[in-house]
Amino acid sequence: MITKWKSVGLAALLAGLTLTASYAEAAGVLTIGRREDSTTFDPIKTAQNIDNWVFSNVYDVLIRVDKAGTKLEPGLAESWSTSEDGLTYVLKIRDAKFSDGSPLTAEDAAYSLLRVRDDAGSLWSDSYKVIDTAVATDPRTLTIKLKNPSAPFLSTLALPNASVISKAGMESLGPEAYAEKPIASGAFTVDEWRRGDRVILNKNPNFWQAERVKLDGVEWISVPDDNTRMLNVQAGQLDAAIFVPFSRVAELKKDANLSVLTDPSTREDHLLINHAHGDLGKKEVRMALDMAIDKKAIVDAVTFGAGTVANSYIPKGALYYYADNLQRPYDPEGAKKLLADAGVSNLTLNYLIRAGDEVDEQTAVLVQQQLAKAGITANLQKVDPSQEWDMVVAGEYDISVNYWTNDILDPDQKTTFVLGHDSNNNYSTNYKNDAVKDLVAKARLELDPKKREAMYVELQKMAKADVNWIDLYYSPYINVSRKNVEGFYQNPLGRFFLEDTVKN
Amino acid sequence: MSVETISPAPIVRRRLLPRRLTLVVGAGILLVFLVLALTAPLVAPYDPIYQNAEVRLQPPSLAHLFGTDNFGRDILSRVIWGARIDLQIAVIGVLFPFLIGTTVGTVAGFFGGVVDAAFMRLVDIILAFPFLVLMLSIIAILGPGLGSFYIAMALVGWVSYARLIRAQMLVLKSSDYAVAAVSLGFSRTRIMFRHLLPNAIAGSIVFSMSDATLVLLSGAAVSYLGLGVQPPLAEWGVMVAEGQSFITTGWWIAVFPGLSIVTLAFGFSLLGDALGELLGVHE
Repeated sequence: MITKWKSVGLAALLAGLTLTASYAEAAGVLTIGRREDSTTFDPIKTAQNIDNWVFSNVYDVLIRVDKAGTKLEPGLAESWSTSEDGLTYVLKIRDAKFSDGSPLTAEDAAYSLLRVRDDAGSLWSDSYKVIDTAVATDPRTLTIKLKNPSAPFLSTLALPNASVISKAGMESLGPEAYAEKPIASGAFTVDEWRRGDRVILNKNPNFWQAERVKLDGVEWISVPDDNTRMLNVQAGQLDAAIFVPFSRVAELKKDANLSVLTDPSTREDHLLINHAHGDLGKKEVRMALDMAIDKKAIVDAVTFGAGTVANSYIPKGALYYYADNLQRPYDPEGAKKLLADAGVSNLTLNYLIRAGDEVDEQTAVLVQQQLAKAGITANLQKVDPSQEWDMVVAGEYDISVNYWTNDILDPDQKTTFVLGHDSNNNYSTNYKNDAVKDLVAKARLELDPKKREAMYVELQKMAKADVNWIDLYYSPYINVSRKNVEGFYQNPLGRFFLEDTVKN
Repeated sequence: MSVETISPAPIVRRRLLPRRLTLVVGAGILLVFLVLALTAPLVAPYDPIYQNAEVRLQPPSLAHLFGTDNFGRDILSRVIWGARIDLQIAVIGVLFPFLIGTTVGTVAGFFGGVVDAAFMRLVDIILAFPFLVLMLSIIAILGPGLGSFYIAMALVGWVSYARLIRAQMLVLKSSDYAVAAVSLGFSRTRIMFRHLLPNAIAGSIVFSMSDATLVLLSGAAVSYLGLGVQPPLAEWGVMVAEGQSFITTGWWIAVFPGLSIVTLAFGFSLLGDALGELLGVHE
């Protein structure tokens, strides 16, 4: 029945205001508003940002990605070496403790890697199948042997989902209890998790960099409604909020009490094309689609100028991004001609969109009109977000907008998923090009960075030439905080550096 | 000899508007929306789906009386075109439940017995589910769109009409003229639909007016949730949903279609009230 009242418009706002939760006022506690609550604290059992972004500050990883998101730096491994053949990695584990005070050893590190590889509930086992053995040769030394050389291997050690867990803790608590309140070695510990409401973190005195942490604690509070969350920060009920809608940036920037933070991300939005459906299998038709879509207009109208037009599946600023990649000009007449030459007329497409996703819906309305100018009819089909994903995976769509954010520094993960012809039909596009497939596999094994970069440049050119999908735009993370909060920062892979955040 | 009759004190009902005015205002509101809907291509100043990037998010002005949305579409034109769809929702969404419910109620009330029991248990089952939940599940099965909405409405909405008519039929079928008709040897169909139904239907007509309000709001709610009218078509519920994200920066996007929903619903309510009094139906 509430929906009925929402129809009256303003009432929604009032309802939102009265429904806001209570907030802690402790001086050193940072309150952050976000859309949804976490689902688990077991790193291997999630692939969602809402989980990773929180437990990244609870767990520590062997190798970290630096603040700029461009290179690897020591984490729990203070140093590492690689054998000549690229098959053996030896990591020196630093003298660190878990939150319960017990020492962290190479044994725990080995256990964590084998668990993410072997556990039945692990969503990341494919990325770690390359590990042959991982053993603690002594309490401070972890020796990993690979089945074959792998250029991206060190990057995968930095994935938050491969965080080091306490072997003794997991065995005594069991996975269920551990996923609620883990024993970890990061900057903060889970004090309380009120499901559906908030996660309360306390400073971890046993963190090996404990003197670096200025905050007494952090509360991640879920406030699903975008308008309400922004109003809460404006009113000072929250110290910060993430997922600022593009449409609100200009207004929030005018507020003298707030800092609007736009941090570079690796998010890339693209239009998936199902190559298996009729005329979409023809390269000329896909090129016509690319020319018919005005990406600049999407950047202006949907991201309010916050995004930049994309020209490659590798995000701008990420490793091996090729800045000079082809960008087909917006040309609806040229698109019409291409279609006519290819003998295609009255192209009608089923455009799948996620109900309730404001940005997706706005993009769809815009793209629909642009395609119409090139004589292409797009019928919008709005479905529930989880169903939308199932339909994309099942190939029950013609076109649909989706996005990807990188989890690791190395481009191999995304490239394999998008172009590598693995089990997912190239991100459900059914794109096929054996030359591309072979190059993806070769690039994974190439250990010389120069040669590897050349391979990825070639891949970006080939993907663009074939129009595997249509790159739309790159967009930053947009967060907002009160002026008294300093160092509230997110690196391009999404990790918040709350150990450096100060609340004055 | 004089007989004194003591008439009971008249029951004074507080009313918002005098009876006449209720009828005029209610019918007037509907008429205005009907005219707007019929003449939409002529009176709407702009194309309702034309996107003009140069006038995005403009507040109300002389050029755009209701302002523009985030695509630069004219809100006034969209509200006017939206009247076509929302009126259609209110009419079709009431018509089918009305026809089904009336037929079922007449048959059940007239025959009684097993027929009555069977139909009324079906009514009980449907009423056991919350209205919107049942609607949304039916639409979820059929797929989003106005067609699904009408089907869901017809499947769920008829029960109220069936109950109303059945109750009337139970009273009327033992009335003198009904008994007379039976003894004259008229067919059952003739008695049901020619003699009894016209006398039983007034309550349903009045109810259909307030039902139109409910249907209109349900249609807007369902579209708001993304299950009804699909973009880029202009429908008020969809427009409110689209405007929700701009509620603090561009209030006009959601407020004008929201007001239109309220006004049209108000019109139906008033008309329903006035008709009730005219036809002598007491709720």
